Amino acid sequence: MMKSLNRLPWAIWPRFHRNDDEHLSPYYTFQDYRQTWGMTIFILMSTALVPLVIMTLIYYQLIETSINTESLLRTERLASNARRAVTFFLEERLDALTFAVNEMGYERLTNPGRLSEVLRNLKLGFGGLTDLSVIADTGTQVSYAGPFNLEGKDYSNQPWFLECQQHNACVSEIFSGYRDVPHIVVAVKSVRADGRFFVLRATLETERLIQALSSYKTGEHADIFLVNREGLLQTPSQFYEGESHHMNIPVPAYSDRTRAVMSADHSDQPILIGYAFIDTNIAPTSFILMVVKQKAGMMKVWLDLRSNINWFFGVSAVIIAMVITLTSTVMVNKIFQADRQKAETMVAAERNCQLASIGQLAAGVAHEINNPLALINETAGYVKDLFTIKQQYKEDPELVEHIDSILDAVDRCGTITRQLLGFSRHFDVQTQPIDLNDMVTDVINFHKKEAEYRDIKIHVDIPETIPLIETDRGKLQQIILNLVNNAFQAIANGCFLDIRAEMDGPEQVRLFIQDNGCGISEDHLNKIFEPFFTTKKEGQGTGLGLSITYGLVQKLHGNITVQSKTGQGTTFVVTLPVHIQKEIQS
Amino acid sequence: MKHYDLLIVDDEQRYADMLAKRLGLRRLTCKVCYDGRTAIEIIEGEPFPVVILDLRLPDIYGTEVLTRIKQCRPETAVIILTGHGTEKDREQCMAHGAHSFINKPLDIDRLVAMMARIKEKSP
Repeated sequence: MMKSLNRLPWAIWPRFHRNDDEHLSPYYTFQDYRQTWGMTIFILMSTALVPLVIMTLIYYQLIETSINTESLLRTERLASNARRAVTFFLEERLDALTFAVNEMGYERLTNPGRLSEVLRNLKLGFGGLTDLSVIADTGTQVSYAGPFNLEGKDYSNQPWFLECQQHNACVSEIFSGYRDVPHIVVAVKSVRADGRFFVLRATLETERLIQALSSYKTGEHADIFLVNREGLLQTPSQFYEGESHHMNIPVPAYSDRTRAVMSADHSDQPILIGYAFIDTNIAPTSFILMVVKQKAGMMKVWLDLRSNINWFFGVSAVIIAMVITLTSTVMVNKIFQADRQKAETMVAAERNCQLASIGQLAAGVAHEINNPLALINETAGYVKDLFTIKQQYKEDPELVEHIDSILDAVDRCGTITRQLLGFSRHFDVQTQPIDLNDMVTDVINFHKKEAEYRDIKIHVDIPETIPLIETDRGKLQQIILNLVNNAFQAIANGCFLDIRAEMDGPEQVRLFIQDNGCGISEDHLNKIFEPFFTTKKEGQGTGLGLSITYGLVQKLHGNITVQSKTGQGTTFVVTLPVHIQKEIQS
Repeated sequence: MKHYDLLIVDDEQRYADMLAKRLGLRRLTCKVCYDGRTAIEIIEGEPFPVVILDLRLPDIYGTEVLTRIKQCRPETAVIILTGHGTEKDREQCMAHGAHSFINKPLDIDRLVAMMARIKEKSP
């Protein structure tokens, strides 16, 4: 459990290089695996997420455009319906007044009893009328029916009267007038038999109009009201009343048909405005019907849905990113491991080649030296023979001594050439069953005296379960001897040497030779199997010991590795097959 | 006809002559030749109890000479004396009936002792 937890960070942030990797770098296919890993993740994420993001944005754009278009259409339709209602309301009353003046004429209408009767009938037919009056062409009210006593009033300067003269009918703005109650004046002009004109005027209550408008109000964020062309509110507005009863949004430009536009209110909130300039077929009016809707209210459903989509998108993106990262890490790691294995094989092959080249060189040198040496040997031997066998030279011991020193030198040269030859071929493999325990004990015996003298504790642990190994006795002995020699040179007096063995599967044995000596620095660790590499002082070591050991282990179809820490000690691990395959031997 | 104690076959003339001289001082009579064909001719012409044979000869490889000697004179003890002997060479020579296999440089006393033993065993 703890192990898998420890490995988790490397699954997300893998470690592609170690400190001991430098010597493998030239053999890697990719020089920078972290960059490869990053690029893989970047490309996969781009491929997966960029189209998704673009599609989502396009989808958002389409939805918003569609909702905007639909909202504008709905607002325009609403404004159009409300316009028809207002127009009908006004036209209906203007038509009634026109009918009255044409039917009854000036004389009958100026009869107060008849005028009251007409008012009563109009109230019954349409309702919403307050009073009715007849105004002469001088502007003086000549007859009146209604709750106020306004007879004799002069309207000659009233805008509605002037407009009525001009257009034969008029609809006033909503105003309070003499009675101080908001009302609309509608009036129609008629010409008498004598050529003079008179005006039949009716006062309409605004309550009905406001009610009619309110019935078109839909939703809590919608507002519907009338303004005049200067933006003065004619009916109350729930949200858009500004200073001096003016609406706080701009007056729209004139259009003869109903329109809907996008705009912003005084606090910069987006709104939809549907508007219509109201004109009756009898008289023009100064009314503009305004339908205002807050866009946020209309978009609420979409915004909620978009929020859900965003959440879904976010979670999906995170899952995709995690899957891509983990997959890329695993795949790049596998490639890295394979590449590392390849690089290690290349390094080992190069090392073998190096050893083989040096071996060939050594063999060549040895062969060339050996023949002259043999000749020196025989010649010097002959001279010595002359001195020892022939009687006349027997009395000259000094000469014999010199000859002996020549022979001694030749003998030493012979030893060197034998060693060089041994390095090149390590001789051929001759297998026999070996008891590892006996072998180690034999080797340790060579060092017994030195260990006692230097107080070095040697601990051997080779279990009885380790089977007999079929291998070359001489070579295995030399391998163990070299490694033990090496350890003895590395450890100080009083240290320990631990030799143990274990099975590595049924066909391989692992031999550990561990010391707690000075250790090997990381810089040197990669080079210790290279020929002629030595850390000893000049003349004290040839630098061939461990490379010969390496070659010998290879010859026995085994493998040797080393782990070391400066100041803590070194462990050599030799892995050998229990049986060497005969065909490989040859 | 003079009977020799041994035949030395080695392409290194000075070496062969010197070895013959040293053995001569030890009362062993030696005939010397420097190539494989001459060696075979000599052996076919007369018997030698011992032949000291180098492996790398200029005309025929030493093992071929060894084979021919053993075919012609099976009783002859052939001592291989070589400067470049491998373990494989040793195995091959021993399989072809060589008496022993010695690497150069040579210990003359060991060779003399070996020849004495051969002489003792021969009928």
